Amino acid sequence: MSQTNLELFTTFFVGEDLFGIEVMKVQEVTNTPTIIPVPLAPNFVRGLINLRGQIATAFGLKELFCLEQKKAQEQMSVVCRMDGNLVSLMIDSVGDVVEVDSNSGEPPPNTIPASVRQFVKNVYKMNGTLLSILDLDQLAKELSPNTEDKETTSH
Amino acid sequence: MSQEELDEFKSEALELLDAAEKNLLALDSGEDFKIAFDTIFRSFHNLKGASGMMDLTDLQSHTHELESILMEFKSSTSIPRDHINLFLRGIDGARSILDGQKITFDFTIGKVAEVSTAPVTTPPIVIVETKAIEIDPAMAEFLAESEEMVDRISDALQRVEQKTSSQETIEALYRDIHSLKGAAFLFSFNAIGEIAHAMESSMDGVRSGTQQATPELINTLFKCVKALEQDIQSIKSGGQCEEIRKCLPEITNALSQQASGSQPKVEIPMDPVEIPVVAEKVVQAPVAEKDGEGNSSIRVPVSLLDNLMTLMGEMVLVRNQVLQFSNKTEDLEFLNLSKRLNVVTSEIQGEMMKTRMQPIGNVLSKFQRVVRDLSQELKKEITLNLQGADTELDKSLLEAIKDPLTHIVRNSCDHGIETPEVRVKSGKAKGGNIQIRSFHEGGQVIIEITDDGKGLHKEVLLKKAIEKGIIQKSQASTMTEKEIYNLIFAPGFSTAAAITNVSGRGVGMDVVRTNVEKIGGSVELHSEAGKGTTTRLKIPLTLAIIPALVVRCAGGTFAIPQVKLEELVRVDQSSSDNKIEYLHGAPIFRLRGNILPLVSLDKILGLPSTGTSSNSIHNIAVLNADQCSFGLIIDEIQDTADIVVKPINRLLKSLQVYSGATILGDGDIALILDVIGIAKVAQIENSKAKLEENSKKTSSEQLRSEKQDFLIVRLNSPTKHAIVLNYVHRLEEFERKNIEYSGQQAVIRYGKSILPLLSLNEQLHYTAVEEKNTLDAFPVVVIEKAGVLFGLVVNEILDTLSTDCEVDCSLVKQSGFFGNLNTAEELIVVLDPFTLINSAFPEHVEAAPIATVAPVFATRSSYQKTSLKILLAEDTIFFRKAVAAVLTKEGHEVTIAVDGKEALDVLNNSGINFDLLISDIEMPRMNGFELAKAVRSHKVYANMRMLALSSRADKRYIEMGKQAGFDCYLEKLKPTLLVDTIAALTAERKAS
Repeated sequence: MSQTNLELFTTFFVGEDLFGIEVMKVQEVTNTPTIIPVPLAPNFVRGLINLRGQIATAFGLKELFCLEQKKAQEQMSVVCRMDGNLVSLMIDSVGDVVEVDSNSGEPPPNTIPASVRQFVKNVYKMNGTLLSILDLDQLAKELSPNTEDKETTSH
Repeated sequence: MSQEELDEFKSEALELLDAAEKNLLALDSGEDFKIAFDTIFRSFHNLKGASGMMDLTDLQSHTHELESILMEFKSSTSIPRDHINLFLRGIDGARSILDGQKITFDFTIGKVAEVSTAPVTTPPIVIVETKAIEIDPAMAEFLAESEEMVDRISDALQRVEQKTSSQETIEALYRDIHSLKGAAFLFSFNAIGEIAHAMESSMDGVRSGTQQATPELINTLFKCVKALEQDIQSIKSGGQCEEIRKCLPEITNALSQQASGSQPKVEIPMDPVEIPVVAEKVVQAPVAEKDGEGNSSIRVPVSLLDNLMTLMGEMVLVRNQVLQFSNKTEDLEFLNLSKRLNVVTSEIQGEMMKTRMQPIGNVLSKFQRVVRDLSQELKKEITLNLQGADTELDKSLLEAIKDPLTHIVRNSCDHGIETPEVRVKSGKAKGGNIQIRSFHEGGQVIIEITDDGKGLHKEVLLKKAIEKGIIQKSQASTMTEKEIYNLIFAPGFSTAAAITNVSGRGVGMDVVRTNVEKIGGSVELHSEAGKGTTTRLKIPLTLAIIPALVVRCAGGTFAIPQVKLEELVRVDQSSSDNKIEYLHGAPIFRLRGNILPLVSLDKILGLPSTGTSSNSIHNIAVLNADQCSFGLIIDEIQDTADIVVKPINRLLKSLQVYSGATILGDGDIALILDVIGIAKVAQIENSKAKLEENSKKTSSEQLRSEKQDFLIVRLNSPTKHAIVLNYVHRLEEFERKNIEYSGQQAVIRYGKSILPLLSLNEQLHYTAVEEKNTLDAFPVVVIEKAGVLFGLVVNEILDTLSTDCEVDCSLVKQSGFFGNLNTAEELIVVLDPFTLINSAFPEHVEAAPIATVAPVFATRSSYQKTSLKILLAEDTIFFRKAVAAVLTKEGHEVTIAVDGKEALDVLNNSGINFDLLISDIEMPRMNGFELAKAVRSHKVYANMRMLALSSRADKRYIEMGKQAGFDCYLEKLKPTLLVDTIAALTAERKAS
């Protein structure tokens, strides 16, 4: 297949790592407004934010990926819609919108921690760095489970 | 074939159809036949050919049929109107096939029915099976419209039957049936069309006034309406008009018979059953006729309204922010503008809310039919009276209350209203009446369903509830009337068939409650035996906006839905009167005598307590979660507000404690607490269930259980005092003025005897500060001692306590005390009322234990401590423990039996050679006397001494004891005497 299939990704940094989400799936990238914490929620739930009258749930990607990093600035958040819910992913800084050939993606190597790997769909080689594409469907599954089995373990 | 070709074909086909339609209409209005006919024919023919080329066999055969029908008119000069209609429908059918293809290639026409050319009956072209489940907009429109029409028809028929109809109603009815017929044929629902047609023709006579609407006719018409309703529903869900097809022949027959029916039959006066109904109806104000309504309305998808509502909510928030900002500014112009914005926004909000509102009458009027059908079925005469049918309610709520309401109305008909004979016998009007009243009250809609039936009997309800184990017997006496009636909503209550036979209603009232509570409403029931029952539903105006209490706790803001809130209590922990107590470490609060379990919101949410506990003021929100109330301790109560409920992520919802979130006026987010979820998390329900389980256990295994009951009284002492409940004869309250004096002794005339009064305060030398001197009445604990009653005057009777705590007898210094009860919360002094009575009335002291033993009394110092094997038969745990403790302390080996029978078994089977048997007299299964006789009848036990220990120590009993074979008869609770007597007895035995 000589045909190149170009895809656009919004990229951002969580800690040192560069992640990407399909541009069309991102509603907006904002400065993080006030987060109202939700008691009893799992640690990756940062809380709720008021996004112009819509309530979005803010998730900390660091906690979700079990990254042992200092809480850096986390000034920004990427807002997506998953399963009809507004979800705001907390990130450290936003990168460029990049264009990659979807054929050049590779599955994530098995050596990266499973906590991260389960959410990574593809890995792309960029100039000097690697871009991990987040699997939003997988995230949605994790973040808004259909079954109620999650809660029994959470408190 | 490619999509492109298909699209091309489609647009061409549509053009052809358009042309055909245009010419058909032209024909209809009398245009030149030849040209028009040719165009139509060409269109059909071309379409047939093209669809055949495209391999669209369905369309091909469809158009082929049309073409061949058309061919018959090739040589004529006109086409009958029925046929024009047929062709028009055919064109629509062809269009929908084309549409279907656009959606899915699966779309097929199952069969094009045979076309009959008879001009009168309408030739059916039925699209029998539409595999596409998706209903196209036009169809949806048709269905919605037909539903409304059927509703109106049903309504009108009702009025015709009740003779409240005017000619206008009949006209409207006729019109509706007619339009239904037309619409149904248009959409090729021939079955519906035909039944409508039959209905229409049957109404002809009535309409022209040549005929009366007979009950039979109306019944049949109602049957049609029912079939119509069912089929419209089934079409909606992708089904077909099976119901009508089933009963179509029968109904059409019946209708045509009745319509052309023999005149005499028609003229027969109304069925006797109907007469009283008519008579009563006259009194009622005729229901306002609302024909022609809806002419100036348009249909809007609900989702659009929902979106508008959301945006409206946002606008209100912005308005609030603007207002807050405007308060800070001095700019007059801006102030003015923001005020106008405020007013306009409020108005828009109000109007917006109305868009989703529908009059409750839309639902209520359906019950006319329900009641009518039921009353015929049950052979009762019931009229339904509607009030406030124009009260408006959110559409989604209206749908939600339909089922519960139907249930209640059915119940009223079935179980509430009696048969005419019974009614007449009990002096009521022959016909029963059910009234449904709806009105606004306090931001809610109230719906009251009142019947004048036989009502509910409280006693029967209680009995049933106890039988079913829903409540405890002890609860029954303390229940308020309201609580009793609400028992009917308890799950598991109503399924009993017996309740229907005995007194009342009740299939699935718990379902009613669940459904109503699901939409944030509540339901109550009140009834008067013999007079009727009123069920009261409280429904919120809308689901999207709920009134809530905004509270703060541990730095967060939370909202509690008002429906779940019963009351707010502010507790000052520093005041001594009523405060939060701790029961086994769990906080509780006494709310008007009931124990209210408390839950700390910060603890439930796992938040750090903000140190408000140092503050002595606590705020408690008393919440209602399914059956049980509990108090939620919160830091701060902010305000009540109408909040817009926003859904939250499922992950958060699964935490159970939140039902949603909302944005407050200042833009802050507040989580909405799920009261029932909190109760679950706090295990309030569980603990309650467990409690009930426990209490059940104690009642069934009372003999074995380790609990002892005490009566707790208050004296002039900070410590509470307890009296063993078994001692207590009665609790009385006497008036001070009734006290009489016999010498120095205060007495009360008590029945036939005289009750000597004994002030415990004086006896125990508590400083007699009679704080309640002013009160006329004073409480008295009546104690029976050796057949004589004594009244112990206490300050206050507090409570009873059932506890398994040990009575510690070691620290008794003062006579009159039995020991201390060390409960988890406090120390309670257990009184020995007999000693107190003895010391107050020395003349009543029994003439010492038993004369024969008395001489042998050894002084305690002189007797050797020998370990004896003692069998103790005693049914009261308290005494069992106390006596056993005394004996064990003395170094004896004690075996325990809970009654005479068990004692005998132990004697016979244990193989222990007992030295002494100590037995109570009053015991279940085998009393002390019987035990003694049984023991004495065996020579084996000749050597064993027997000692009776009883609180009934009068001479007669002592005599009986002796006869039974007891060596000694002692009064209970005299440890020293007991020990000494045992020593004496054994010494005696050794001596002998």
